[in-house]
Amino acid sequence: MGLRSVVGAHWRVILLVILVGVALVALFVPGGLLPQDEFAGGGNESADAGASPTNLAYGLGLDGGTRISAPVVGTTAEELEIEPDRAGEVEATLEDELGVDSANVSVQFHQDSGFHTAELFVDDVSHEEFAAALRAAGVDATEGDVRDGVTQSTRDSIIRTIETKINEAGLSGGRVSQSSAPNGQYYIVTEVPDRTPAELRTLLSERGIVEVRAHYPDGEGGQTNETVLEQGDFAGVDPAAYNEQNGHHVPVSVSEEAAPEFQAAMNEYGFTGPGVGQCGFGEPGTDGQNYCLLTIVDGEVVDAHSMGPDLAGPMRSGEWVEDPQFVMLAPSQTEAQALSVNLRAGSLRAPLDFENDRTFSVEPALAEQFKLFSLVTGVLSVLTVSGVVYLRYADRRVAGPMVVTALAEVVILLGFAAAIRMPLDLSHVAGFIAVVGTGVDDLIIIADEVMEEGDVNSRRVFASRFRKAFWVIGAAAATTIIAMAPLAVLSLGDLRGFAIITILGVLIGVFVTRPAYGDILRYLLTGE
Amino acid sequence: MGGFDVPEIDYTPYSDRQLAAVPLAVLALALAILLGWYLLTGAPVAMGIEFAGGTELTVDTASDRAEIPAAFDAEPESVQAVQAEDDRYIVQFASTDESALSEQAAANLEPAGDGEVVQSVTSTSAAFGAQAQRTALLGVGAAFVGMSVLAFALFRTFVPSVAIVVSAFSDIVIPLAVMNLVGIPLSLGTVAALLMLIGYSVDSDILLNNSVLRRGGDFTESVHRAMRTGVTMTVTSMAAMAVMAVAATAFGIDLLSSIGLILFVGLAADLLNTYLLNLSLLRWYVHEGVAR
Repeated sequence: MGLRSVVGAHWRVILLVILVGVALVALFVPGGLLPQDEFAGGGNESADAGASPTNLAYGLGLDGGTRISAPVVGTTAEELEIEPDRAGEVEATLEDELGVDSANVSVQFHQDSGFHTAELFVDDVSHEEFAAALRAAGVDATEGDVRDGVTQSTRDSIIRTIETKINEAGLSGGRVSQSSAPNGQYYIVTEVPDRTPAELRTLLSERGIVEVRAHYPDGEGGQTNETVLEQGDFAGVDPAAYNEQNGHHVPVSVSEEAAPEFQAAMNEYGFTGPGVGQCGFGEPGTDGQNYCLLTIVDGEVVDAHSMGPDLAGPMRSGEWVEDPQFVMLAPSQTEAQALSVNLRAGSLRAPLDFENDRTFSVEPALAEQFKLFSLVTGVLSVLTVSGVVYLRYADRRVAGPMVVTALAEVVILLGFAAAIRMPLDLSHVAGFIAVVGTGVDDLIIIADEVMEEGDVNSRRVFASRFRKAFWVIGAAAATTIIAMAPLAVLSLGDLRGFAIITILGVLIGVFVTRPAYGDILRYLLTGE
Repeated sequence: MGGFDVPEIDYTPYSDRQLAAVPLAVLALALAILLGWYLLTGAPVAMGIEFAGGTELTVDTASDRAEIPAAFDAEPESVQAVQAEDDRYIVQFASTDESALSEQAAANLEPAGDGEVVQSVTSTSAAFGAQAQRTALLGVGAAFVGMSVLAFALFRTFVPSVAIVVSAFSDIVIPLAVMNLVGIPLSLGTVAALLMLIGYSVDSDILLNNSVLRRGGDFTESVHRAMRTGVTMTVTSMAAMAVMAVAATAFGIDLLSSIGLILFVGLAADLLNTYLLNLSLLRWYVHEGVAR
């Protein structure tokens, strides 16, 4: 028999062996099939490297960590026709009419639709009030134009900000995504290893709006406040630092556009003259004498300092704008770090609604146990299946390849998961067990059909019986895929992984492993 | 044949009505339970925390089980010990204030060993749960409709296709009723199991219909041929699911244990539905329906 005819006769088995081989490489050879960072969504490679014997990536349930899914607070009015130059004016009117901060109103133009949207990031304004305020701003809007939720661009911006925040906070392996419910509500899903729910929630609930406010005498014995720097005015922000002179601080530089104005304000309000070193913020009896620069995060004063002589000098002479840098002080390392992260990541465009969230958290130690336990559970299930099949057929020629083929299916799937670095969770484990279950069912159909009524003595008889068996298998596979498809598409918590693994398993089964089992069985039964 | 063989059942003494009566009575009973549950509680099945909202804590503590409820301001809905691990308990609450509950657990429960008291937290707000309920209902509905359409497309005759759809429906309803009886609430895992049941249950029905309708030959012989394969399949899966349910329960892995248990019950219901309900409909169809 020439090589070509051998390959021609056994190509199904050969394909199975090749796929199993590739899967084993993807699973066990360090580095796997693809370069580490190709598909790794910032996964946990660094933590796993060296420690794990396989290239499998694990999800939260099997690796430990915290996940919070929360909707975004806000309402949106869509398809508004606003003259491009009036957007700012509309925003200002909305702020006045509804009594909300400028940070909580956003009017945007959308290139693709050609319309404007107006968003409110508060939860205490009704659709009707929103529409009325829009009409007051001269925009044609009705209650029907207003819906709950925010725009995609706002969600994208929130996702980017959170990504920066968790990276800046040193949480490697964090993931941020959005998921949607059938009624159109969206959730922002944040996953990080090594943080408790309370810590992650603190990180996410800080909106991180930073501003610097001048707090100075009003000339009538009291104090007045003026915002002098906002988030967008900073050009560069360094990581938090510490030195003897300043304590904990964050070195920052102010943008070219904002620097002259800031310098002028400091000189005008007296910060560079009488105010140097004069700050007793919060101390009684100091009203009318305080010159404080307040660092304010989310409306709370985190720090108050007067201007030092080193900064006041160049400001007074007007040289400071040439190199507009200063340091923002903070009372502790944690707050300095938070300040730096907030300045660099930018603020969350809208807050997250933790009243309507879902939190899931597993300690790494427990997750490690789940890995072992689910492996044991899976192995026990496979052994049970093998036992029943042996009992039923009492023929090693039939039952042996059946178990081996079903396992090959799992190996190929695992290899696939390792290759694309799909993070495995408990639901995937359930999927693998389901795959063994459906796989063996189909192999039973093939075996029974082929061995029906006496021996199979020719290839022709075998082929005709195999075809009949395959009709049933194809039909059954199609139903399983249809039954699982909704779960694979809808984001129902952890179940997507289960559905995806089951569907992939069925596909690999129908196209690769079951035909190969047919060939093996034919060889064993007919000797051809 | 070796260890066990599928027994050949003689259906001839029973009329189609007698055969169908048993599974239909079980289905009616199951529907009655779901209806009764609906009238009493406002929902046909008890919703787990993933759908109703609430918090589940997994705690490792040296404190006694009886002392656990006193550690929290809110009364736990349930406290369940994990068999495979001493000192580990799964505590469920209707409250969704997971940070307060975690703090109370850490403050008031005695740690077991060096690890954290709170090992795992799952908290779902009521609104999120309601959303998940709608999604799950949509998913199960879409899967069922898709399966029904496929059944009709495959056989293109009314009675055999309806037989498949009715037994799949019954395969889902019976485990739901059993869940109520033994006190398993509906969770993401059980929903996955119900969808999986649609796939599994249709396998044996397709096998039976295919054997009788497409292969021809004597009815009894065709049925026995299909049963030999189908029962082996279902029993194998049931064995695997039983082992998975027992092992996962001992290890305290809720998701796997509920999938295992529901599939086990559903597959048992499937034996009943396929070989009594579907079979009686098929026999009526082959002997009388075709002639009409």
